[in-house]
Amino acid sequence: MKVARREGLLITYALGSCIGITLYDPAIKLGGLLHIMLPSAENAKMDNVYKFADTGITEMLRKMQAFGGVKSRYICKIAGGAKMFEMQGNLGNIGQRNIENVQNMMRREQIRIVRQDVGANYARTMSLDVADGVVKVRSFGHPEITL
Amino acid sequence: MNSYDDMNSMEQDVIREVGSIGTGNAASALSGLLGTEVRMMLPTVSVLDFNDAMNAIGNPETIVAAVLVGMKGDVSGIMLFILKMDLINDILGILLGNHIEQYEQLSEMDVSALNEVGNIMISSYVNALSTLAGVDIGLSVPEIAVNMLGGIMSVPMAELGYQTDKLMMIRGKFVLQGDTLDSDLLMLPDIDSLNYLMKKLVQSNG
Repeated sequence: MKVARREGLLITYALGSCIGITLYDPAIKLGGLLHIMLPSAENAKMDNVYKFADTGITEMLRKMQAFGGVKSRYICKIAGGAKMFEMQGNLGNIGQRNIENVQNMMRREQIRIVRQDVGANYARTMSLDVADGVVKVRSFGHPEITL
Repeated sequence: MNSYDDMNSMEQDVIREVGSIGTGNAASALSGLLGTEVRMMLPTVSVLDFNDAMNAIGNPETIVAAVLVGMKGDVSGIMLFILKMDLINDILGILLGNHIEQYEQLSEMDVSALNEVGNIMISSYVNALSTLAGVDIGLSVPEIAVNMLGGIMSVPMAELGYQTDKLMMIRGKFVLQGDTLDSDLLMLPDIDSLNYLMKKLVQSNG
């Protein structure tokens, strides 16, 4: 999880089934970028809260608030959740479960996801320019897009 | 052991030996397919956190072709054959008489040839391992992806992510006609499987 204010480019590379979540508070130019790998922490005994959508988003919100962020102003965009291989079973649909859980978490937090580029079968690199809030997504075989 | 870090150096040696028998067989299989000499370097065994594991293989945005096979049964985890441009062209050149400059040029036929080569190599690897350790390992249907390395590595990371923050990679490198290639054959077992394998191997060695 990365947070920056006023200037800086936050970037997370090659999201596969993982999801990149950006929150931006335009009033104070505060940006955060979280990269989650799994939908929920369940009973995992892991120290890394940012690995999971539920604990990761909670911690991200706490941290952004500590930097002066105001939830009602946040602009949220997400990218990732791909299915890299055509596999059966749990392993295959982890990306989809990540998408759903991130969406549910945001709904619960009453944060609207303004734009998203999710699913399909390719990896994405996601960046947030903290100076202006512009979010870009690049991937293999597709033109770069501005979310 | 409860985590990969608990492995002592003797256990790492045992695993490296297992990997070396697997990779040796995979190399023979590739050699047979291509009709040329293929050797594998002695595999390395490393326990790395996810980012370090990814960076060890290459830049996360590097495009690669990867064949993935899931293991189930006595040993579970993932086998991942990561092919970079050099090996792709060696294989396509010999099998199909094709040469590519960019990954976008891979045709459906090329991709399915690479998938089949990966399948044969991974099957040889795992068969050698099951025979050696006397374990039953079921393999999933092989799947191939041509995409960013980081996205591909996220698949085993997510699969094992509820058990561990680290990956244990048994990593073999190829030497084709004297050239060491920048491609990898990885075995990524889960922790329970590693324990089981260790128990079986230490028993059978007396």
